[in-house]
Amino acid sequence: MIQALRDKLVDLWHARELLRQFVGKELKVRYKNSALGFLWSLLTPAAMTVVFTVVFAFVFRINVDDFAAFFLAGYLAWSFFNNSVTGSIQAVTGNGNLIKKVYFPREVLPLSIVIGQLVHLVLALLVMLPYFVWVRGVGVLTHLPALAVGVIVLFVFTSGVSMLLAGANVSFRDLQELIVVVFLVWFYATPVIYPVALVERQIADGVGIAVLFGHIISLNPMTWFVKMFREALYGEVAPRLAADGNLVDTMQSWPSPELLTVTVTIAFGAFVVGYLAFHRFALTFAKEV
Amino acid sequence: MVFESLRDFIKPDQSRPAIEVERVTETFRLYHEKGVGLKERLYRLRRAGYTDFNALEDVTFTIEHGETVGIIGHNGSGKSTLLKTLARILPPDEGRVEINGRVATLLELGAGFHGDLTGRENIYLNGAILGFTRSQIAVRFDEIVEFAGIRPFLDTPVRNYSSGMYVRLGFAIAINVDPDILLVDEVLSVGDAKFQAKSLDAMRRIQEREKTVVLVSHDLGSIQDLCDRVLVMEQGRVVFDGPVREGVQLYQQLMESSGPDLEDPDQHERYGSGDVVIRKVGLLDAAGMGTRKVKPSAGITLRVKVVAQRDVKPFSVGARIQTGDGKPLYEVHTTWQGLGVGPLERGESAIVDIRLRAHVLAGYYAITPMITDSNGKRVYDALPRSVQFEVEPAPGGTGMVDFRAAVSVADGPAVNLDDTGREEDVPADPATPEAAKALHPSHATADPRDDLEGTAATSDIVADADEDWGGAPAPQHEDDTDVFRAIG
Repeated sequence: MIQALRDKLVDLWHARELLRQFVGKELKVRYKNSALGFLWSLLTPAAMTVVFTVVFAFVFRINVDDFAAFFLAGYLAWSFFNNSVTGSIQAVTGNGNLIKKVYFPREVLPLSIVIGQLVHLVLALLVMLPYFVWVRGVGVLTHLPALAVGVIVLFVFTSGVSMLLAGANVSFRDLQELIVVVFLVWFYATPVIYPVALVERQIADGVGIAVLFGHIISLNPMTWFVKMFREALYGEVAPRLAADGNLVDTMQSWPSPELLTVTVTIAFGAFVVGYLAFHRFALTFAKEV
Repeated sequence: MVFESLRDFIKPDQSRPAIEVERVTETFRLYHEKGVGLKERLYRLRRAGYTDFNALEDVTFTIEHGETVGIIGHNGSGKSTLLKTLARILPPDEGRVEINGRVATLLELGAGFHGDLTGRENIYLNGAILGFTRSQIAVRFDEIVEFAGIRPFLDTPVRNYSSGMYVRLGFAIAINVDPDILLVDEVLSVGDAKFQAKSLDAMRRIQEREKTVVLVSHDLGSIQDLCDRVLVMEQGRVVFDGPVREGVQLYQQLMESSGPDLEDPDQHERYGSGDVVIRKVGLLDAAGMGTRKVKPSAGITLRVKVVAQRDVKPFSVGARIQTGDGKPLYEVHTTWQGLGVGPLERGESAIVDIRLRAHVLAGYYAITPMITDSNGKRVYDALPRSVQFEVEPAPGGTGMVDFRAAVSVADGPAVNLDDTGREEDVPADPATPEAAKALHPSHATADPRDDLEGTAATSDIVADADEDWGGAPAPQHEDDTDVFRAIG
């Protein structure tokens, strides 16, 4: 068992150059032949931020300070997860020729997509950082290490989910269609456009359906990763109202030991399950892709 | 430091054999052909969706370090599956495969190459697949390029390479990364004679360094030349494991007893109503022997044995020919040629020959033999892509279609270059356009418009493409008829 695991890790270590080349290819495709290059990858979060800010801060009036910053902090985490998983679900099925003809550790395929997205995420964070500092104060800078921890656990979690789905998609091709719907629902079940505090207030007000929704949110692993990003970049929103009717928000903070434990456990749990499942699926890749 | 110690993990442990295969079974699930129309789909619903087929069954053997082992057997006997299992591409469904050392594989033409990347980029990509870092490949880069003889094309996307160049590059990488174990499937026979000699030489040097080589080949000559031992495969099992001479004899007996190398279609996916079924199908060369490899424009015969499952009126036997990647090239049915097969009563059989001439250049092709009713409306039986063959490269031309070029210099000086030695004639400096041209004789052909300037003169050199095919011009089509033997 230990021997087998060690062999697999040695295998993966030898494939690091291949991983590097695949990631390079991913990034090149994105940035080659376009004048604006990397700026394009910022266009989606920027557009989403504008749209959701208009809709939810002005039309539906979710009364949160700096809604754009509030939204963007969570959305960056979400879009990394979303792009990585939807990108890697076809990482194996789309490389049938390679799988059928040469050997290399198959997990290189989904992992290269996730790592490519990680590069986008880090670049996006760097570009957006001045904005957060401007809106939320220099406290953002002192909490960068907390953000780094958030990025790492989210990366580990996303890798696990990506491997699981990329592997499963080989025998169940319907997954790649299904995932589009799943992610649409999942997005709204994740507190990206609304604060958890809003749900908590509804529960306090005795709205029945909110209790169920509260359970769904807390069982949703992405809730915790979004929370981690948001705490470091924006702060948190408390479930009470200020004098002006707005929800009260706090300054940036370090992840609590509880949050840290939850995210690390989820992340590594997902990684182990995804990795093992992927290797199980990989036994028949060459026959089924 | 850590890097080095990790590398040690895969240093071959000399106390254990290089390759241990224990009771390995490899099962494929054959889905019955879906077809495209709604009718075929409904039809499929009625039948079982798939059948299991063991490509390898209970295979056990051991190969020691430094051994060179050949694997021979009929088409479809499991040789290539076995090699893929050793290469870890196919993990075994049952049993255990233990590989002790760094493996380099050369399984298929262009395996692991990316068509859009240049030769240079592909060398690094292939190196990475074999587990080498950029700097480790950089050290070997020149050797690889030299061996493959592709320097003028280093920065050309490999999709423009000829099959010969693919093989040379693949082989050059595989041997220059210094593997402990080298797995080679057939591909060597694609290159020209000079490259074959060079690669045989390289294989011998690998043998001298006590490396392990496993070779799948139909070429009994090179098996006898190189191997210390052979495995003979038959229907997924190893039926012989021992000295080369006895193994080759057994293989030849097996070949004879089964007549021409007709494939057993039961292993293939198929679709159709089953009124008449294809019992055997095979591709024969001009000598009536089973073949998978033909020379450009050589005559070949698709022989199909059909059996009626009920009384049927005259029907049609046809074939659809595609390139390896599925592009349709040609389709023919006996009725189109004015010939109906039958009528047959239930249980009666017929043997139908479709004579073809493959006017195509090097590459892989697949034939779909099929039986339809006389107006082609109803498919009785079809075996999609069940007959596969390879066309060998014709020296002095690349592309898809064999235009059978003959070149001459109508006016002006010319020299007679060595038949196969085009690479050797290349000036040392690859940057010169002449060097690039010399590799592609077609580029060097004088533009006919040049004639206008000069006076008419007879040429010094007239090369006929036919003469380049190893002195064996393709047999005449009309003569083929009596050469094919009937099958029992």
